Amino acid sequence: MNSVDTLDTLYQYAWLVPVLPLLGAVVVGTGLISYGEATSKLRQPAAIFIVSLIGAAMVFSFAIFWSQVQGHPPYTAMFEWVSAGDFHIQMGYTIDHLAALMLVVVTTVAFLVMIYTDGYMAHDPGYVRFYAYLSLFSSSMLGLVISPNLLQVYVFWELVGMCSYLLIGFWYDRKPAADACQKAFVTNRVGDFGLLLGILALFWATGSFDFEIMGERLTDLVNTGSLSASMAAVFAILVFLGPVAKSAQFPLHVWLPDAMEGPTPISALIHAATMVAAGVFLVARMYPVFEHIPTVMTVIAYTGAFTAFMGATIAITQNDIKKGLAFSTMSQLGYMVMAMGVGAYSAGLFHLMTHAYFKAMLFLGSGSVIHGMESVVGHDPALAQDMRLMGGLRKYMPVTAYTFLIGTLAICGIPPFAGFWSKDEILGSTFAVSPLLWAVGWVTAGITAFYMFRMYLSTFEGTFRGNDDGIRRDLKRAQLQRMGMSLGPGAMNPQELTLDAVQDDHDDHGHSHAHEPHESPLAMIFPLMALAVPSVLIGLVGTPFANYFEAFIHPPGEVEAVLETAEAFDWSEFALMAGSSVAIATAGIILSFLMYSTKVIDAGAIAQTIKPLYNLSLNKWYIDDIYEVVFVQGSRKLAKQVLDIDIRIVDGLVNLAGLVTLVTGEGLKYLENGRAQFYALIVFGAVLGLVLLSGVT
Amino acid sequence: MDLATFPWLTTVTLLPLAACVAIPFLPDDNGKTVRWYSLAVGLIDFVLIVAAFYLNYDFSQPGLQLVESYTWVPQLDLKWSLGVDGLSMPLVLLTGFITTLATLAAWPVTLKPKFFYFLLLAMYTGQIGVFACQDMLLFFLFWELELIPVYLLLSIWGGKKRLYAATKFILYTAGGSLFILVAALAMAFYGDTITFDMTALAEKVYPLRMQLLLYGAFLIAYAVKLPIIPLHTWLPDAHGEATAPVHMLLAGILLKMGGYALIRMNLGMLPEAHTYFAPVLVILGCVNIVYAALTSFAQRSLKRKIAYSSISHMGFVLIGIASFTNLGLSGAVLQMVSHGLIGASLFFLVGATYDRTHTLILDEMGGIGKKMPKIFAMFTTCSLASLALPGMSGFVAELMVFVGFATSDAYSFTFRLIAVICMAIGVILTPIYLLSMLREIFYGPENKELLEHQELVDAEPREVFIIACLLVPIIGFGFYPKMLTQIYDATTQKLTDRLSQVFVAEAELTQGSAPIAALPVLRAPSVSQ
Repeated sequence: MNSVDTLDTLYQYAWLVPVLPLLGAVVVGTGLISYGEATSKLRQPAAIFIVSLIGAAMVFSFAIFWSQVQGHPPYTAMFEWVSAGDFHIQMGYTIDHLAALMLVVVTTVAFLVMIYTDGYMAHDPGYVRFYAYLSLFSSSMLGLVISPNLLQVYVFWELVGMCSYLLIGFWYDRKPAADACQKAFVTNRVGDFGLLLGILALFWATGSFDFEIMGERLTDLVNTGSLSASMAAVFAILVFLGPVAKSAQFPLHVWLPDAMEGPTPISALIHAATMVAAGVFLVARMYPVFEHIPTVMTVIAYTGAFTAFMGATIAITQNDIKKGLAFSTMSQLGYMVMAMGVGAYSAGLFHLMTHAYFKAMLFLGSGSVIHGMESVVGHDPALAQDMRLMGGLRKYMPVTAYTFLIGTLAICGIPPFAGFWSKDEILGSTFAVSPLLWAVGWVTAGITAFYMFRMYLSTFEGTFRGNDDGIRRDLKRAQLQRMGMSLGPGAMNPQELTLDAVQDDHDDHGHSHAHEPHESPLAMIFPLMALAVPSVLIGLVGTPFANYFEAFIHPPGEVEAVLETAEAFDWSEFALMAGSSVAIATAGIILSFLMYSTKVIDAGAIAQTIKPLYNLSLNKWYIDDIYEVVFVQGSRKLAKQVLDIDIRIVDGLVNLAGLVTLVTGEGLKYLENGRAQFYALIVFGAVLGLVLLSGVT
Repeated sequence: MDLATFPWLTTVTLLPLAACVAIPFLPDDNGKTVRWYSLAVGLIDFVLIVAAFYLNYDFSQPGLQLVESYTWVPQLDLKWSLGVDGLSMPLVLLTGFITTLATLAAWPVTLKPKFFYFLLLAMYTGQIGVFACQDMLLFFLFWELELIPVYLLLSIWGGKKRLYAATKFILYTAGGSLFILVAALAMAFYGDTITFDMTALAEKVYPLRMQLLLYGAFLIAYAVKLPIIPLHTWLPDAHGEATAPVHMLLAGILLKMGGYALIRMNLGMLPEAHTYFAPVLVILGCVNIVYAALTSFAQRSLKRKIAYSSISHMGFVLIGIASFTNLGLSGAVLQMVSHGLIGASLFFLVGATYDRTHTLILDEMGGIGKKMPKIFAMFTTCSLASLALPGMSGFVAELMVFVGFATSDAYSFTFRLIAVICMAIGVILTPIYLLSMLREIFYGPENKELLEHQELVDAEPREVFIIACLLVPIIGFGFYPKMLTQIYDATTQKLTDRLSQVFVAEAELTQGSAPIAALPVLRAPSVSQ
């Protein structure tokens, strides 16, 4: 067998990459549903089974990736999925540079997260179920990245959304988790509403679901005038609504922070590294359509820039470590979307890759912190995730602290960490297109550095505050007040409950909890260390002077001579751009040190002086509250009214008709006797009679 | 026995009816024998159905197959004539499948078990007969035959308001079926020959005015059955009171009769009138989808919630029927089969939940997921299937209707745009009410009050088995829909071909005063290429 054959075999069996984790999910899932208790006890075997399957998928993905790097042509395999007459819809898979890259990113992060899960979920009764969900998610996500057409993307798009729903609601007995998973699914459906309409419209116009063909035909239609340019723009914006929801862009970002109610491993895998980046991936896939419609590109760029800025401003005031990271994710996704919008295709995807690694590591690090905190404050997310109770953790959890620091430096854009190269490339390309957008991105970079170091400093530096009962009491009270507010005024008296609850806490903590957090087990810190490597180094594949990444990932149809650009690389321009972004990041870091480490500047005093702005940030720009009133309560009210109409008018008329019959006395007999079947029998008999009668005559 | 000439359809239709005659003579041991007996009959009949189609059905033929015709009343040309084409064959299969599972689902019935199973088997015959018969009068007889068992099943084994619900059901449906009778008689006696044969009736040429009247009459009858708003109010009452197995049959099969008859008669026999009525169907379909979804959201009773969700899903059937494309019509058929499976599974699970909580009011539930993880998992899966999650049959059906309707050349661009947006709004509303429902039943902290009064045990193997049986085809068709669509593709293609011929002729004929359906058409660029 020569090498060409082996390569083709590799591609012929590429469908195994998503199918292997699916197999794991199906086997374990079937076990859970048929022999629930027995399967739940097989913790380690189930985990090993699923982890080795994703491991196999990872090895497979690396092989595919390597063969793509070697220059193997893209490979597509299709089969007929639906046919009606001469209408056919095809499904299949396609392997090209972008797909190969995404396969590697998804499988590596999924593999490491699954190892981490073993430590994080060790004491959870739903351990096995969690692995089954993780495996199902990995399968859907891998299916998404190898989809050859828009329709199949939509299929897997919904499936990853479903997995996200299941995983956010994993601890289903917690009310916030129950609310959050529904919010996530419904918000994403709103985006999918646009995506579906966009897909239908594009299919109506072009007669195809294939990205390239859609792009070509749409351009032709617009050029020949059979379709107005504004119509094409509307279609494309509808499609873009899908990524807006999935990648948590304004105005459909509201679900992502709440999604942090799910266990931390999935926050890392789904809500930081992979699924939320699917929106950026889809924009990349839709590039042949989008790039010829300037309006859409502008909309995409501004949406991204605004989201980046908004996410960063909210992240400043968050005290929940995971919520802070969630807003940071939203902000970073904004960068990627903005990059796509300004035409910096490979820069956006480069940031997607670097962000996947360092943000996954940051989330896993936060999980490690929470794990350590839980031994002190108990299994209460309101306490274990609040940074006001942390501090000084570096002493107790050194590995977590140093890896978190690496991640922080990476996201702040400090050279030579990964985030520097990708963010700098985005800002550089943005400046060439629109200085305004660049300015937004630049300011956001400063804010990012500030809030990330605020997070790092208040978590790992200073003194440990976890045993401070005063803070605990305050936090508990704030939490109960929030709950009381959500139940409506007068539903309960928050003060009373607070006292009781804190009293309970005292008893609880006095006996069963340690006074110092501890470093997490190896299963958890190994993935952190493994992810630290790409977080430091992976940026080096995309340096502006030797951009291997751009040579590999470039817009479809654009056979750019990348090497030439590299030769034309301008050191002075690079120094200016990189210098300005490093400068503002450093400024943010220094400010952060002054406020949260040396406390030269009093953060509380600043918050007081700019109270409205502080509240705006703390309340997430009030967007959740507006949506609650307008959409949630609005739709409930509307539904109630429709039901009223249904009962009173539509059904009311029916019953009125019945009543009239009753009053006239005709219907009285059989209704009272409850023998309305006579009615049917009469009809039945009449027909039989008719038949017989006509038979006789 | 010659396999080709064996009267397969007569056998499978009459076997359950013949078998139920023996029920009174079975030993009375609290229904233990009779339920095994009924299950065996159901299963044998289902196996016979599968065997009949496996041996004799040819997918590539669009016309009737396995035809049997025996003269009953020669003077009237009334025949016992049965036959299946691509339209009825999947529904006959569905009937056998769902009825057998419903028999298994009826295991805990202890009140008058003999009578219960007697009615269940009688219904079996009525349902297969409706789908398989090819004679108008026979169709009407089967249609009525199946009403009586449903009425009795509702009024004896129903909930608190069972008499009201049963009466409403019978008045509505029997009232509706009067229209069928009148229209059928009118069609039969029109022209030179008196015939009730459906094929012959479809070939008769009726004047347009008469077609419109006939179409209207049929539409009213089938609108009650499907149901179409505003003739739907019997359904929440009937579904709200029925027991789980009856529920499965109501949602799984009875609603499909309306859709089937709409395609068979309104679309198949009165194509000219269809070109005029189709936009009305689309509008009614959109109203069904959005209105019922909103009502479902506001419902506080579990059964009524799911009942309204059925109405909402039937909207897609209407739009598919009115789409003038093969894809849309295929989608409508697929949606009927798919909803038959999904609706049955959801109603079965509602029954299973009710058996444990003894309440249907959502406010009294909550937090029971921990005690009943299997039911929770199955309920979630079936709800996801119902909200058209890809990978399950509902998604493919809705997608086919969407694409079929969006690419249809019969409507103006604006009309299609508005209708598609309405349908897509339904796509947002469905998860809202289904996921809220799941949240209110299973999520959240444990409900202490409920736990005090009820012992919540998880699903038993029988229940898991029933759901697993339903999920296999749901997921199977979702992954590879061609498995099902190829069965009826030839038939729907033939129907649409005829329809588009009529449509073109009609559009030419009425160029001066365009019919509603032929509003200025903006042709899709893809089609004109």
